[in-house]
Amino acid sequence: MTQKSSAEIAKEVTQLIIEKLNITHVTPEQVNIETPLFSKDNELELDSIDAIEIVVALQQSYGVRINDELPTREILNSIQSIVDFLVKEGATEKVM
Amino acid sequence: MDTNTNFKHKMAAHCETGTLVGLLGNAGLEITEPMAFGIAHGIFFGYFESKNFPFPTFIVRTRPGEVREKLAKSLKIDINRLKFKNQEKGMQKLDDLLADGRCVGAQVDFFYMDYLPEWIRVHNNVHFVNIVGKDGDDYIISDSYHHQIAKLSASLLKKARWAGGYMAPKGFLYYPEKIITKPDLKKPIIKGIKKASWNMLNIPIPFVGVKGIYKFADKINTWPKLTRDTEHLSHEIMKINILLEDQGTGGAGFRYMYATFLKQAAAIVNNPTLDEMSERIMKIGDDWRNISYFAAKMGKNRDLGSDKIKELSELIRKQGDAEKAYFTDLKKVY
Repeated sequence: MTQKSSAEIAKEVTQLIIEKLNITHVTPEQVNIETPLFSKDNELELDSIDAIEIVVALQQSYGVRINDELPTREILNSIQSIVDFLVKEGATEKVM
Repeated sequence: MDTNTNFKHKMAAHCETGTLVGLLGNAGLEITEPMAFGIAHGIFFGYFESKNFPFPTFIVRTRPGEVREKLAKSLKIDINRLKFKNQEKGMQKLDDLLADGRCVGAQVDFFYMDYLPEWIRVHNNVHFVNIVGKDGDDYIISDSYHHQIAKLSASLLKKARWAGGYMAPKGFLYYPEKIITKPDLKKPIIKGIKKASWNMLNIPIPFVGVKGIYKFADKINTWPKLTRDTEHLSHEIMKINILLEDQGTGGAGFRYMYATFLKQAAAIVNNPTLDEMSERIMKIGDDWRNISYFAAKMGKNRDLGSDKIKELSELIRKQGDAEKAYFTDLKKVY
């Protein structure tokens, strides 16, 4: 199996967030993966209530647990920081 | 910018424990955030209805400042605590301490921490930061919610230290005076576990500990009657998620942090049972996270019918059952 690139994981994670949160106004390609996820500048227009849905979606889809070992707010800072976390955990393949 | 004694800044799950372990680390006592939380038996639950609160609320940890006090007592750390009515004197004392080469913990209103993004800053009088130096008129701040050391102007720090309202900081400062750099953690760990179990099971008040979880499960059924309209109810239901996940809890209402404490404790006291208890509370944490998710979805989708509230109530009741069994077993370990 070939290893996914960081860009591919980022696209997959962005797609997952869009699907889980029923976001219809943007496509994954339009989302800047470096922009803080919960800032007003982010194309996804998320609020803090969305954070728990993202956490649960990541846990279920990639089989990781996001707990206090690394502060959640650090992991959820941006799409890129989520990708970094998944790579660090060796959890870049979806389990469901 | 210069900081006193090359303070090592680190992000943390929670501001109180993060600030505390940062201060202690700087003074030579290296301790992890979960270890500080566990020794200080920070894990808790309480459901409150009071005239002081606009709406019923719950807590998942002991009250602010308690972790600092209990850890200091348990590890025999001498911590100086200062409050000031006079703002000028309070700022001068801070300057004197910094000039003396000390790093100082401070209670502040989170809203004024302008190095953090605007969208996360809300008025909260019980935020803790370390003040680790001064550069001209700016103070150098180590805030465990920020990824790096930051600067804060003297005028904003003053506003933050003397913000008014509930749990006003009153200029509160604290710093370790005398510490043991390599304390034996075995007895404090065991004492912390026993006390946490006692707090969750035996405090004879009907709305704290496990009894508080059951109270929450019962009372949430009355929330629709206490709210003005659907918008108000959805706001209060979504707050469940915020209180469990979004306020520096380390996730799942501090249950994950307690699991990490037990994992670290197992190695120190050489007791594999604590590893098992760590796994169990981690799973209980997963269920709290599911409740958080369930509540967030309910609130967001305005799916607030009585059947849904009842379902949420039952999920919370099951947590009461799980924590009752859990802390009963944890109590038997020592």
